[in-house]
Amino acid sequence: MLSSLCLVLLNALVISVAAGSDYHEQLLLRPLPQNTLLASFNFRSNESAAAFEQQNFRYFPRSFGQILQHAHAKELHLRFNVGRWDAENWGQRPRNGAREGGTGVELWAWVEADTEDEAFARWLTLTNALSGLFCASLNFIDATKTIRPVMTFAPEGQHANSSNLHLLHGTLPHEVVCTENLTPFLKLLPCKGKAGISSLLDGHKLFDASFQTMAIDVRPICGQGDASCFLEMEQTVDMVLDIARSKRPRDNPIPRPLPIDQLECDTSKLYNAHDTCYPLNKGTDPAWTLEEVFGKPLRGACPLTEQSGDEVNTVCINTPPERTVEVRTTGQFAESKLASDTVRCYKLPTGAHFDLVLPEQKMSTGLVRPDPQIFAARSINGHGQERGSTQSIIRNPSTTEAVEIVYLESLPWFMKPYLHTLRARVDTTYESPIKETYYRPAVDRKRGTHLELRMVIPPSSTLTLTYDFEKAILRYTEYPPDANRGFDVAPAVIRILSPQSGDNRGVYVRTTSLLLPLPTPDFSMPYNVIILTSTVMALGFGNIFNLLVRRFVGIDEAPALGAGGLKGMLLSKITRLRGLLGKA
Amino acid sequence: MALISSILALRRDKRILKIPPYLSALCVIVGIAWLLVLPLNEYSRGTYVSENALLPGQVHTYFTGSEHNVFRAYRHEVHGLIDKPVAERSQRLETIFREQNLKVATQHYNYTVSNRTIANENVYAILQGPRADATEAIVLIAAWKNMADEVNNSGVALVLTLARYFKRWSLWSKDIIFLIPGDSTSGSQAWVDAYHDGHDQRYVESLNIKSGALQGAVAVDYPAGPWGQRYDKLHVVYDGVNGQLPNLDLFNTAVQIASGQMGIGSVIQRMWHHDNSYKDRLQTMLRGMISQGLGHATGPHSSFIPYHVDAVTLQTVGDGWHDEMSLGKTVESLFRSLNNLLEHLHQSFFFYLLLQSNRFVSIGTYLPSAMLIAINFSIAAMALWVKSGRRTEPIANPASTQPKSKPASSADKEDKGDTKPTHDIKHAKEKAPAPQQPATELLEIDGALAIVPVASTTVTERALLIPALLVISAHALGLVPLYLFNNWDADHLPGLFITTANIITLFPIAVAFLFNYTSPHILTLQALTLIQCFSLLLLGMFLAALATLNFSLSVLIGVACVPLSFVRRSTNMGINAVQLGMLALLNPCMVVQIGTKLLGGNLAEILVTAAQGWHIWGLWTQVVVWLVWFPAWIACSVVVASGIFD
Amino acid sequence: MTIDTQQKLLLFGAAAAVRLLLFTVFPALPELLAGRVEVSTPVTSFKRLQEGVFLYTHNVSPYDGGVYHQAPLLLPLFSLLPNPAYAPLATNLFYTAVDLLSANALAHVADSGFASVTRLFASPRKELRWSSAAIAAGFLFNPFTVATCIARSTSALTNLFVLTAMAKASHGASITFVLAAAFASYLAMHPILLFPPLLLLLYDARTLKTKTAPDVSSFVITHSLGFAAAIAALLSASAALTGSWDFLAATYGVRLLLPDLTPNVGLWWYFFIEMFDSFREFFLGVFWLHAASYMPGLTIRLNKQPLFVACTLTGVFAIFTPYPSIADAALYLSLVPMFRHLFPLMRYTFLASASILYTSFLGPAFYHLWVYAGSGNANFFYAITLVWSLGLSIILGDSLYAALRDELDVERPELQGKEVRRI
Repeated sequence: MLSSLCLVLLNALVISVAAGSDYHEQLLLRPLPQNTLLASFNFRSNESAAAFEQQNFRYFPRSFGQILQHAHAKELHLRFNVGRWDAENWGQRPRNGAREGGTGVELWAWVEADTEDEAFARWLTLTNALSGLFCASLNFIDATKTIRPVMTFAPEGQHANSSNLHLLHGTLPHEVVCTENLTPFLKLLPCKGKAGISSLLDGHKLFDASFQTMAIDVRPICGQGDASCFLEMEQTVDMVLDIARSKRPRDNPIPRPLPIDQLECDTSKLYNAHDTCYPLNKGTDPAWTLEEVFGKPLRGACPLTEQSGDEVNTVCINTPPERTVEVRTTGQFAESKLASDTVRCYKLPTGAHFDLVLPEQKMSTGLVRPDPQIFAARSINGHGQERGSTQSIIRNPSTTEAVEIVYLESLPWFMKPYLHTLRARVDTTYESPIKETYYRPAVDRKRGTHLELRMVIPPSSTLTLTYDFEKAILRYTEYPPDANRGFDVAPAVIRILSPQSGDNRGVYVRTTSLLLPLPTPDFSMPYNVIILTSTVMALGFGNIFNLLVRRFVGIDEAPALGAGGLKGMLLSKITRLRGLLGKA
Repeated sequence: MALISSILALRRDKRILKIPPYLSALCVIVGIAWLLVLPLNEYSRGTYVSENALLPGQVHTYFTGSEHNVFRAYRHEVHGLIDKPVAERSQRLETIFREQNLKVATQHYNYTVSNRTIANENVYAILQGPRADATEAIVLIAAWKNMADEVNNSGVALVLTLARYFKRWSLWSKDIIFLIPGDSTSGSQAWVDAYHDGHDQRYVESLNIKSGALQGAVAVDYPAGPWGQRYDKLHVVYDGVNGQLPNLDLFNTAVQIASGQMGIGSVIQRMWHHDNSYKDRLQTMLRGMISQGLGHATGPHSSFIPYHVDAVTLQTVGDGWHDEMSLGKTVESLFRSLNNLLEHLHQSFFFYLLLQSNRFVSIGTYLPSAMLIAINFSIAAMALWVKSGRRTEPIANPASTQPKSKPASSADKEDKGDTKPTHDIKHAKEKAPAPQQPATELLEIDGALAIVPVASTTVTERALLIPALLVISAHALGLVPLYLFNNWDADHLPGLFITTANIITLFPIAVAFLFNYTSPHILTLQALTLIQCFSLLLLGMFLAALATLNFSLSVLIGVACVPLSFVRRSTNMGINAVQLGMLALLNPCMVVQIGTKLLGGNLAEILVTAAQGWHIWGLWTQVVVWLVWFPAWIACSVVVASGIFD
Repeated sequence: MTIDTQQKLLLFGAAAAVRLLLFTVFPALPELLAGRVEVSTPVTSFKRLQEGVFLYTHNVSPYDGGVYHQAPLLLPLFSLLPNPAYAPLATNLFYTAVDLLSANALAHVADSGFASVTRLFASPRKELRWSSAAIAAGFLFNPFTVATCIARSTSALTNLFVLTAMAKASHGASITFVLAAAFASYLAMHPILLFPPLLLLLYDARTLKTKTAPDVSSFVITHSLGFAAAIAALLSASAALTGSWDFLAATYGVRLLLPDLTPNVGLWWYFFIEMFDSFREFFLGVFWLHAASYMPGLTIRLNKQPLFVACTLTGVFAIFTPYPSIADAALYLSLVPMFRHLFPLMRYTFLASASILYTSFLGPAFYHLWVYAGSGNANFFYAITLVWSLGLSIILGDSLYAALRDELDVERPELQGKEVRRI
């Protein structure tokens, strides 16, 4: 429990307001069950509003700042996400999920503009500029992928001195996040990944993690009372590393079977023999060092960070006190213990490598992991490419207090939900959990569906939310090259309103994205289809108008040649042929 | 236009009417001959992989070394569970999966079919691909008991070992689901139903954890005991429920990896020794057709295919030098291939007949045979129609070959002349009950009615109402055995079968007698002709439609029904008797019985399986038998039988 | 007469019984049929109607979305009925009643005898006709009609108004005719093409009734104005109801521009899926022109038989409109038997009806292969829709041939029963 408390404390500490323009970075390591390690990087730089206005950037990256100014974005949140957070085993999400996004790329921003249209125009400039900056296809966030959430997101900064802000939100669930997005991310840091904890961030390991999310958050912060506002930019990376996997050397990443002699067997089994081995799982925490796990050494502190004050502790590790942690460095470092020794923090040496070494160890005490407030899973029911139904199952594990949530769905236009089939059932009570609904239906090829529900889940009960939808069939030019894979549907965003968390960043949970296979036409057929359809039409038309415009005469009055009957037909054909040959 | 009209003019020719029987005979002969030439090189093709992403056998497989020791250990574990109760078994399997850090869940199912209870548990574990986004998944299955009801000891152990091995890889782009169904057919059916939420909660438990859309499934069947047993070949089983087949690419990939990469020969359709001769190819094809026609589940994979999840079962056969590791490597390589897939398998064929593991016939080549056989019935129907209207027909417009001027025209005929009120009342009343039967039937019933006005081209004195109603009632009658056979107590099914067989054989004669005795004016010569005409027309239509869904079933039933388009009511007692005898031999029950004898099956078992199929797998074969084949047979037999009584 | 009514009563009773029985015995059937693309199209689907009503009752504009494309006045109407999800009986009764009324209207049309005998023309085979009851039966027990009714598709309503318009026209009831025609056009737009021939029919009926021919121009002008007024009234009422004119784009705009390419039995959907973007507008124009071009042609050539023209036009709608369903086919196929006297002259009926019968079985099978089994592709179903349309158009052309031949027999009796050629 203490540890979780200390976490909250740490978070508070991380976001605690520091005045003026400064830069601060911190890495929090946290061993998780199943031999995994959670590494939370946090880089924060401030720039006073005045300096920002005068384009006088110190720590704040110029390229990024100018984009913000150009697009009049007052507050911005950008997320790159890969993998899934396993709430059952790993517990509460890092930073309460407030610094993570749905699979792929997610972007939302408060744009200052007089009209909706102007806001949208600026939003487009913003997305285009960012897509260039981060090598992500953010420019594909068009009208059909943009929504304007009403309940799910609240501004984190203080926007006292800016009027009529517009919140716009867009996702790209199919976007594959990879190194080309990490490099620009690091470029924004003052130390550019050359020194400080950012020197640990290596594409190979980062994208081999079981879960990783990169976040950029920009928000204005004003001191109490006085008008001394400044702009805070926070960059965070949260990753869950499978220790065994990431300890593999880069030159030989293949998980070959262990040599037989290295395989630990459960000798208690009767059948245990030289050729028969039941793998023994020793309940020990594995050995690891920073360098092993991240594949790169930690090259000392970033010189630009504050060298004094309460934020000098750059690397923290959150383990039970009994876990032995050795420091290996040539430089000058300082260790301090917080939260009854469950958190050990280190002030990094400058200019010297720094490494933490944890030997393999059998643990008697474990850490108390804060449990998530809700568990959420979403899936598609039914099969076939015509219609289906979406089912979200949200569980409130707390036995004491009810949870109030906002559930946000942003669906592509070709997935047409039927709101009259929306059913929300709670297994413990009969009353509808839905308190408030916001629905904006999709318009073909113009905008997507936007659904927001405010719901209350009673203690220790499960909410099942289902609705039917129909799949539209598209024009053949509108399908992606891999048409038969289907389309991705953005994850649902769930915000927990109450019980409220400590900070003003909110508590978020996101489901996984869905795969939506659409009915596909035959892409090789345009000419055939045009020809065949036209033929049928021509037959109908020709036949009818042929009848309408001609007049009947008796068979005998008609010119003798080619009179009715098969014979006549053949005769006429032959003679016509003759005529042709004669000419030729 | 003019050409057509002159062809129409040809129809006046009396000689034309003599042609149809020969024509339909020709259709049948060509249709069957067509099947027989398929195995020739000229008509079949070598298989090839058309989905480029699969790259079968292009990856090096590392499933060796110490994994073998682990496998042996797991094999002992599994062996230790054989006579344990289900709950304990599942619990133990769960723990093994949990030790490998997988998400595990169990699913209980409890069906009751014809007073037999099928209850068991599925255990499944999900490996979440590190880079996967939970949108796609592939399934690795090892049923606890295989189709021969042996415990799939090594198979299950192999899945456990592979789960442990796969977990270490970080390259999976899809989730991998390891499924251990309680039995080979119902278990996987229950699981896949629940996965798509198509299950009935009364019998099948919903799934606690799910993953993305299933892209493919592979089942291993390796019943070797704790001391292992080296096998010779892989038997690739690919038939799905209702004769639906997996994409040919999956099958090819499996075969190519087994033979090309691992050097394991593969066989299909229980043709253990295939010397690539015409005879063997034909035999393989026919076995394939029979198994497809029956539409039963042939392995744990079968239930997946109706949900458009391509699946095959790899079954080890014979005594050879291949060991479990080579099977494991095959599966590993196969999964690496499936992992490469960017799209759902769709490139290659879904309709094919396999002649051997690397030779197939595609639909374009074989479909005509079924169609020809179906068409022969339509031709016969036309001929009968013309015949029925022959006498009264005004020579001026012979275009009146219209089955579909059934009730209404007759109806209106009557109330045109005399406004006898009864007629339309009768007309209406008799329609009313009709639509109470299932849609399929309803359609075709009123189908007759509907097209009526459009179609009826001329004043014919055909009394169409009665024959139409009789044919409809024949189809309605099919519901009775359908219901009985699916819901009767399992132990009494054989008895029921025998009774039905006898009743059915005598039924036509009884009917004919009754009509003849009570109201001879109903079954006039014309009425009989029309009855046969309508039933043949419907038969032809159904078979044509069926050929596109389940080719083999359509062909089998078509062949069994061939005589129906040739039998005629004759005044000669002897001929009638002969015809009746032949029909009696060809009635559905008799054919089923003989078929089981020939294939060495056990009738009782088959009946139970059929009922099981109907309730659990959603098998449609019975419907076709009782609502398409049986009515046609009855109708034609009645026609012939009526010849006896005058 | 009494006998006739008795017949009718029994017939209608039976038809109602059949429908209600189906509704009650197979409670899943309506949902199933409502989901079939052959039965309910985006512009007639009952599920979409429910969605529209839901949004309407929750004060969300149904037209600010891509789901609901049906006429606004249906919304209040159906919001009055209890929610069919819980209390389907009312809806079922409503649709059954609609069918019965349509059948009744059809019977009236048949009774008027305009099919074979009009003001300017009397078929030599006029005695050859079926009783109105039989024709009504043909409509009521047509499986397509039944399916439409069970699927609760709103095209049943359109059919009702079309038939009523015909009935009123053939009995010379101006006002009701104008109203019915206006309603039909308001609901489905394309019935507006039926107005001219039906006006002609009305004119004939009036002249026959009041043995004096009213002045043509004034007659046409007054009725056209009335028609326009009625439609304007309906539209403005809708606008008042929904509070904006958005519904025009969402209803008629969709019918015109085909943004929703959900498969149906018609010819348009696959064509415009596969059409190159740059040519889409052009072909939309061409297709609509083509669909509309039949009206003037037929009306002018067959001005003596306006009822036949109207009937043939319904056939044209069943083939060449953007969102046809089997309901339209049902309407046409139920109108054809009124022209019993033409049947002896038709030639390809076997071909046509066989193709229609086969397609009505193969269509669902192929659709299943494409969408559910995944083993077939879209071309399977597309091919079937081609054959279906071809079958219908053959019937269309053939009946037209028969009608013209019929006229010929009047003009030149000496040619009766002889082969003729067209030059």
